[in-house]
Amino acid sequence: MRLALAIGTFFILVIHGVVFYNQFFHQWERNQHAYFDQARVLAKTDVERNALAARKPRIEQIVVSNFGETRVDRCTTCHIASDDPRFATYAEPLKAHPYSPVMGDTQKNGKWERRHKFSEFGCTVCHDGQGRGLDPEYSHGRDEYWPDPLLGYTTQEHWRKDFAPKLKGKEYMQANCAQCHTEIAFPGTPLVTKGRELFFSSNCYGCHRIEGLSDGTIGPDLSDVGKKWKLDYLWGRIADPKFILATSIMPKFNLKEEDIKALVVFLKSRKGRNFAETEIQRFKVKLTGGAELVQATIKPVQINPAEMVKQGEKLVLDRACTACHKLGDREGGIAPDLSFEGLLKDGPWIYEHFKNPKSTMPDSIMPAFRFTDDEFKAMTAYLLTLKGTAPTGNGEAIYKALCLRCHGEKGDGQGPIAEHLDPYPRDLTKAGFMNSKPEARLVASIRNGVAGTSMPAWGKLLNEEQAKAVLGHIQTSFTKEPRRELKAKAIPEKNPVAMSKESVARGEGIFVERCAGCHGKKGDGKGPNSLDILPKPRNLRNAFFVDSVDDRRLFESIQYGVQGTAMPPWIDYGLTNNDVGDLINFIRSINQKPKGGQHAAAIQ
Amino acid sequence: MSRPTPPKATFLTTLMDLPKNVWSSIFRNPLPSNDLERSATSFTNFFLHIHPVKVHKNSLRPTYTFGLGLISFFLFLILTVSGILLMFYYVPSTQQAYDRMLDLRGSVAFGTLLRNMHRWSAHGMVAIVFLHLCRVFLTGSYKKPREFNWVVGVILFLLTLFMSFTGYLLPWDQLAFWAITVGTAIAGYAPIIGKDIQFLLMGGTSVGQEALLRFYVLHVAVLPAILTLMIAIHFWRIRKDGGLSRPEDADPKVSLEAMENAVTPKGSVPEPKKLYGFQGLVRGPLTKVGQIPDNTVFSWPNLFLAELFTFVVTLSAILVLSLLFNAPLEEPVNALHPPNPAKAPWYFLGLQEMVSYSAFWGGIGVPGIFVLLLLGTPYLDRGPKGVGKWFSRDRLLANTIFITFVVANIIFVIIGTFFRGANWAFVTPW
Repeated sequence: MRLALAIGTFFILVIHGVVFYNQFFHQWERNQHAYFDQARVLAKTDVERNALAARKPRIEQIVVSNFGETRVDRCTTCHIASDDPRFATYAEPLKAHPYSPVMGDTQKNGKWERRHKFSEFGCTVCHDGQGRGLDPEYSHGRDEYWPDPLLGYTTQEHWRKDFAPKLKGKEYMQANCAQCHTEIAFPGTPLVTKGRELFFSSNCYGCHRIEGLSDGTIGPDLSDVGKKWKLDYLWGRIADPKFILATSIMPKFNLKEEDIKALVVFLKSRKGRNFAETEIQRFKVKLTGGAELVQATIKPVQINPAEMVKQGEKLVLDRACTACHKLGDREGGIAPDLSFEGLLKDGPWIYEHFKNPKSTMPDSIMPAFRFTDDEFKAMTAYLLTLKGTAPTGNGEAIYKALCLRCHGEKGDGQGPIAEHLDPYPRDLTKAGFMNSKPEARLVASIRNGVAGTSMPAWGKLLNEEQAKAVLGHIQTSFTKEPRRELKAKAIPEKNPVAMSKESVARGEGIFVERCAGCHGKKGDGKGPNSLDILPKPRNLRNAFFVDSVDDRRLFESIQYGVQGTAMPPWIDYGLTNNDVGDLINFIRSINQKPKGGQHAAAIQ
Repeated sequence: MSRPTPPKATFLTTLMDLPKNVWSSIFRNPLPSNDLERSATSFTNFFLHIHPVKVHKNSLRPTYTFGLGLISFFLFLILTVSGILLMFYYVPSTQQAYDRMLDLRGSVAFGTLLRNMHRWSAHGMVAIVFLHLCRVFLTGSYKKPREFNWVVGVILFLLTLFMSFTGYLLPWDQLAFWAITVGTAIAGYAPIIGKDIQFLLMGGTSVGQEALLRFYVLHVAVLPAILTLMIAIHFWRIRKDGGLSRPEDADPKVSLEAMENAVTPKGSVPEPKKLYGFQGLVRGPLTKVGQIPDNTVFSWPNLFLAELFTFVVTLSAILVLSLLFNAPLEEPVNALHPPNPAKAPWYFLGLQEMVSYSAFWGGIGVPGIFVLLLLGTPYLDRGPKGVGKWFSRDRLLANTIFITFVVANIIFVIIGTFFRGANWAFVTPW
């Protein structure tokens, strides 16, 4: 026992030795000694030399409270020569911090004077990094848990290997300059300015909100994205959106790397705070929506009537429309194909759609972008020239060319862009639905489209024969089950109940009781049950759609249900024709004539 | 014969004798060189007087106890000392706590070592206390007369878990914040009082400044005080129960005749196992030391050497761990950004795994039943056989049930640690 005890005690002594050794002779002490020695060599007077000889290493720190929370920057413990101009050409960490007119430094009588003095600014407010750390692993932010690695100098281990090399470079620091220098086109921050321009010209503002600049609601709010995320995340989210979130609907914009860099620097500068702004200034920006900044950034194109179509084409191609839409060989994979737009739609519709997408397509996710009316007109003119090439071949070939993108290659309504459309493309494999509607109606849907939905009027492109061929292909390949003769149903031709306030009130009562569970309290198809069913319940406020169906069809859908969907036959639940008549009056009453078309007069 | 008169004291001799006089005023008893002096160490020394004069050889056997109880206590001491030193630098404020941790890691001399020692001792103490509980159970050492000491021990175990839990929050990083969010949520599943307990713990409806302050006060003041008190009771009870448990055949059977032949002090005949238990018998001519055969040895030096050695081993292990592995410090708290999955500290992961099957039964019901069974064990298992032996055949049923529960819990902890990923889905770690 005593021997074991002796060995154990000796071991502890050795460990203590190791511990003490670790705690003394720190890296920063060695750096400071190196500095003292070098400075002694460079010293010009004996007084100076002796002072340096007597100097002992100690932790140097700058406490800065001007910028929000108190920062304690101990960087100058290792970078002890940062304010000593004689060390301008030495290697790090004993290199002096450069002087530069870009940073506002001035020369007086041959001596440089710093504008951003260390005693007032510290280091981390410009460089990021961890002020309190004394070991480079921590102080430079290499530790993966530190949210602010040295901007442009340090990458972290877990960053994706193909992004990491692109995230090095002093220019990234411009993001931090913009924390205070928010002036438009500040000369020291060209990348921030370029990034802001790209934010508008690539139409990012349509989906994303940045306080003072834009209010898109589809994507996350980017007002303080620079504070929340590191460079690798910002880069990745733009260069390869699905890498971070597999279900992201953000398009993959095919931007050049220098553009991505500008955008990343701009986004990194969005820290949700501006140290130079007073509270009053912030409030003013909130009120006006930062109009001056926006106007100074977006440069509208002067439209020359003679070149309208060409200019329109340039706008459509350059301004990221194809990041969502399909056009020629560009495919965004999110929005409908524009190749036939000139045939399928007319000028007033397209212009209206540009000005306010939801006014022509009520459940569209397309944002309202900020182009001038002239720019919109030019783009409309261009789109009207797109007539595409009429498809040839049998029903299958036509289906592949025109229908597959929405309805899917299996015809199940799960085409590549289906999830972005509202209402969903019809599931053509649902024999219950397909075989319960007269063939004439199905052909009519193909030729005339379905109002208020993304189903265009293909009749502008296809003749009756072709449409029937497509339907035949659908029936044999997707629906499969053969049609049987349709039973006649007892349905009134028109609404037996006259429109009146009382009828609407009764109808509303029935609606809230029976229909709101799926169709929602507001009748927009977003009731609580709608989350679990496909196809989703019809948006009964889609005036285009509701106006396009007659009372008879509404009667049929309500009383006999819609096979192949979750709409039950309400006649089985005791609804009388009068009840349904009240319901229909109510539904019609919540679909006032659409206000769209107010801008159409602008287009001849 | 009269004593020789000492030479006349001069001021010079006083000065020269000063060191000797100072020393002997502090250490009034010499280092023992005979049995009498060895016996005296146990009651002439403040720090040693909880110990018995003589201790049974079985208690000193390393393979009997593995020193687990001692290791737990020494870890507690290391934790107290390192904890107090850390208290000089830590501030329980949501604004300052994380920055203070950064300072400890980067700028404070021995800061990293101190924090590492504290963290690994804490994890170690939870594990060792648990192993100590297993040892005591599997050797049947909870039986009469040690039932209440077992209960005190179970309470100590729960207090250890609570200490570790309260300390876990203090770094105020993502790991801490979300682990405590999970832990307090499990507490909230208790029936009727659950939500009140949760509110009491957090000082509010979510983990914030109030929770941090409460956990800090619990961790540095309230729980250490209660823990110290319970440890004192635990040690006192060990003495009063006659020392550590030992098998029935550990002492040679003494016939009544031999006992009567030996001169006993006035009073009743003591039981064969313990012929004398307190120091009064050491004085006077009636001491039985060496006259009746037994298997005890003097505490000085055997017990104290064993304790010192255990301490040296414990401290070495902690120092090596602290030099090799750094305690984690993750991102600063972001209440809007939970990690997926958010995991409780490892000793509660078994609980969290069970909670994923059923909130009440997994978090409160089953653990509650475990604790009640543990507490009730000495009162449910009244058979006197099987004490003092590992895996005694006489206690097969009790040991089997216990091992089953332990293994089940360990499996749950392993599943919770390695096999649960985002959304608590089952993942493989390879």
